[in-house]
Amino acid sequence: MRNCEAIKKSLGAWLDGELDPGPAAEIQLHVEGCASCLEEKARIERLDSSLKRLLEANASQVDFKTFWAGLRQRIADEKSWHTRVLEKIRPVFSPRRVAWAVPAMAVVLVAVLSLDQFFPGWRGNGQTNMASVESIDGHGFNVALLREAKTKTTVIWLFENQESEDETSAESASSDTAF
Amino acid sequence: MNKTPSATSKEIRLGVETAEWELIRKCQKGDVAAYEELAAKYYRRVFMVILGMVHHRDDAMDVAQETFYRAFKNIRRFQGGSNFYTWVYRIAVNLAIDFQRRQKRSIVDLKENMDEVVVDAETSGGDPLREVQDRRLGEKLLGAINELTPDHKAVIVMRAVEGLSYKEIGRIMGCSEGTIMSRLHYARKKLKEKLGTDL
Repeated sequence: MRNCEAIKKSLGAWLDGELDPGPAAEIQLHVEGCASCLEEKARIERLDSSLKRLLEANASQVDFKTFWAGLRQRIADEKSWHTRVLEKIRPVFSPRRVAWAVPAMAVVLVAVLSLDQFFPGWRGNGQTNMASVESIDGHGFNVALLREAKTKTTVIWLFENQESEDETSAESASSDTAF
Repeated sequence: MNKTPSATSKEIRLGVETAEWELIRKCQKGDVAAYEELAAKYYRRVFMVILGMVHHRDDAMDVAQETFYRAFKNIRRFQGGSNFYTWVYRIAVNLAIDFQRRQKRSIVDLKENMDEVVVDAETSGGDPLREVQDRRLGEKLLGAINELTPDHKAVIVMRAVEGLSYKEIGRIMGCSEGTIMSRLHYARKKLKEKLGTDL
């Protein structure tokens, strides 16, 4: 048999109907014969009913028409997701900002594109994936090398310098005429 | 053929739930008129729970409207796994707890705001002594509740005002029945201590 202190700890749960039948019957039996626990039970009941009465009285003053009018308005004002996204983006693209942003972006773009010219190999180990063509002197022949870094491919061209031959013949022709 | 009382009540309950589910299905298709019916059914109960937590009538009105607005916005996600009011209460309690953490009003404001309510709530039947006692109890009760944490307030209001079971409260608050029992015991104990002989 539990004492008053233990019973009082479970009184709330008992009044709420949350105890199993065994403990509930035990508490009921105790409360019926104990003035102190009976008073504690009455205090819990008064507490709950006072709170309920207080809030019910206030809630009864709330008119549904007023409540619904506010709620209806909020629902009506609800915008679609794309409208909300556009509204967020729009200030970013205001004419005043765009007026500054466009030239600024152009300068940045030019700067980035010309980085390779001023700082060759700035992207990493100096190798690029782009092919490069170099001309070297090949003992009277013109040699061009095409190097492609990614696949490590090298293509070699040997060719005659047509321009210099033309120039020589033109020079000799003109000298002939001079003489 | 006579039906047993329990069978009849079960059928009625089932009928109400079916009708409510029909309303919910309409709301999920964007039917605002159907939502008005649902809101009319539950707004007062939701308002009471919120008021018990935020104490100020205007604040409670704002939070209650926000609750129903969010419920409507998200009603497509409601699959009927729980009662509609449990689902709405969960939104309401979370919003009320957030609201309390963001905004703290002074107890003086609360008393001024609730004075008329205490008078309205009196069931003294014209007995001046009882009226004074009720007013004093109401004021002290408000002050005492205000000192509880948001979680304790939520539990005592849902139990005392709504009569929800520990299981339902646990589902709304996202915790076990044992936790609810413990919080409720603590909240009642604190309130009884604060109210003293006025209770």
